[in-house]
Amino acid sequence: MGYAAARGGRDAITAAEQLVRDERESSSSPWLGIDQLIDRQRLAVDRVMGEGGLWDPHLAGRALQQAEGDSIEAAHLLRSYRATLPRFAYTEATDVDDARLLRRIVPAYRNPPGPQLLGRTTDYTGRLLDRADDDDWRESAEKRAAERDVLRSDAAAQPGGADDEADDTKLGERRFGRLLDVLRGLDLVVDRRRTDDPEPVDITRTATRPPAARSARLAVMARAETGALVNLWYRNVLGPDGYIHEVTLGEVRHAELPVRITHPHTGGTVEIGSVRVTEVEAIEDLDGADEDRERFDVGYGLCFGHNEKKAIAMANLDIACERDRPIDGRASELEQSILMTTDGLDASGFLEHLKLPHYVTFRSMVDRKLAVRAAAGSDEP
Amino acid sequence: MTALDSVSLDDLLDAPSSGSSEDILDEHAKKALRGAILTAVCVPGYQVPFGAREMPVARGWGSGGLQITLAITGDDDTVKVIDQGDDEGVNAVNLRRLICSTTGAEETTEVDEATVIQTRHRIPEDPIGVEQTLGLQVPVPEPLRGVERNMVELARMHAEADYARMWVSLYEDIVRNGVITKSTGYPCLVGGRYVIATTPIPRWDVPRLDHAPFLSLFGAGRERRIYAVPPDTDVEPLTFEDVPFEVEHTDGATCSTCGATDAYLVEIPPLPTSADITRWVCSDAAWCRRQRGDEEVTS
Repeated sequence: MGYAAARGGRDAITAAEQLVRDERESSSSPWLGIDQLIDRQRLAVDRVMGEGGLWDPHLAGRALQQAEGDSIEAAHLLRSYRATLPRFAYTEATDVDDARLLRRIVPAYRNPPGPQLLGRTTDYTGRLLDRADDDDWRESAEKRAAERDVLRSDAAAQPGGADDEADDTKLGERRFGRLLDVLRGLDLVVDRRRTDDPEPVDITRTATRPPAARSARLAVMARAETGALVNLWYRNVLGPDGYIHEVTLGEVRHAELPVRITHPHTGGTVEIGSVRVTEVEAIEDLDGADEDRERFDVGYGLCFGHNEKKAIAMANLDIACERDRPIDGRASELEQSILMTTDGLDASGFLEHLKLPHYVTFRSMVDRKLAVRAAAGSDEP
Repeated sequence: MTALDSVSLDDLLDAPSSGSSEDILDEHAKKALRGAILTAVCVPGYQVPFGAREMPVARGWGSGGLQITLAITGDDDTVKVIDQGDDEGVNAVNLRRLICSTTGAEETTEVDEATVIQTRHRIPEDPIGVEQTLGLQVPVPEPLRGVERNMVELARMHAEADYARMWVSLYEDIVRNGVITKSTGYPCLVGGRYVIATTPIPRWDVPRLDHAPFLSLFGAGRERRIYAVPPDTDVEPLTFEDVPFEVEHTDGATCSTCGATDAYLVEIPPLPTSADITRWVCSDAAWCRRQRGDEEVTS
């Protein structure tokens, strides 16, 4: 019978699943534990938590393990698990200045208020593939880890040694000013306070579409696929769209943000944990005829985990979208692109559905081709 | 079908595993979906936004149809799932196993035994009754996307029933091609008010929707839209007085398995090197099997 590849029923599906599981799990190499993924593939785990919209390193590691490293697939696993869970509470709004800094850079000024704290970054590391023998590498890594443990126990209270994740320092726990505060002090930033978006839109419970509140747009981007956001940003720099003008980054932060909820019985605010986030403020030069050309404006990006590419793209697109908002309140094309095309599950799911059988629809298309041909033939003298 | 339960926080805390622990949707989600479905039934053809949940199937693989089915199906239901008209297509098998294992519903391949039928790209050839519900998987719910991309403008066009550009595009199609070339998902006016995408069922199936005895629910998970054609509702394909609506037809085509001519047939093309002619076969596999008098159901 036709289209044998798409038939075969339950046995074929079970066999395909078995094949995936066997090849993944019965490898002769050592078992890839979730703790290894969390510790050694940190950025992959962070990305999956961000795109999956769920902060849980263990589950994200499990999802990556199950998805054989496919980050979109892993995000899908997390999200469909999340969809089975009831929603008990919303968090309280948290001041991002309450976050414990792990890294912070300010490209706009040489000496900004607060530190330039490089933290854990490969920004200035030569991209050289380390081809050392793997066993040697492992041995020297274990040796260094042992030395570091000794150093740490010796100098547990010594401040200022911000060599790694600022674990040994109180630097990250201090509150620092933001570049934006400086610019506001100089009256160099437009006032964009607004009252039309008081409560953040929950994009997992409503169908977000343009024109949407800014909070919805930011939430969509926080969950968006990293590559999609980066590409949309670049398309607007070099491609046909061109909404991005001249952006300078004000803040790039990686920090631990406390999570607080209202206690259901006492009504008090309780801290129930923390999430790591990447936060970016992007200063935009206003140059439009109808814009305040004496001042700058600012775009905002914040996403789960350490994912600077994503947060930078998000902040740039946020301000680009804000500037592009037409006066009559209609959605810009950029807003529609952000809201409707950046979700990894949407895009890859629809793309992959093309593998499903389409012979019913294709037969109908062939029917129309022949009808056009017949109509053309009957027109000829 | 299960009752429209209201669930409180205390209920959930008291019985965290209420219902099946394998439930794909929590009760809040089902309640929201049922609300959207009821709205869709009340406003035939209107695309009701809903907060689609992530399903354990990829978006584009029937996540919208699946959410509808899960929202209306209980353990006293019997479910039929088809893809391209076939109960044994792998995606149909996969969805059926998800639905039945999580709702406790019975499964069937026979239309007359089903209370809920989930389908991709077809309406079964067999008659469907007033007690039965058809849930269609929708890839693209917006019928006007071919003439307008901006979603704010699209919302205005539907709100004002401004379908002028749709009519112009159909006219231009005829001028350019001599026929209307729209193949599947043919745009139809529902209840004299909203134009819908009949998503993409072949034109062959479109007349089945007009004044159908059964309820049709269209679910687009990726685009987060549900719309409905309630029983006994006008469903009118957009065409002109002097251009009759055409369904798929090929002269002389006969099902090579059951001999049917009055069913939606799909092509089995000959190999380029062979002298065979094109063969045809019914896309509705269960119907075809019954025409042959074969009661055996294989999986």
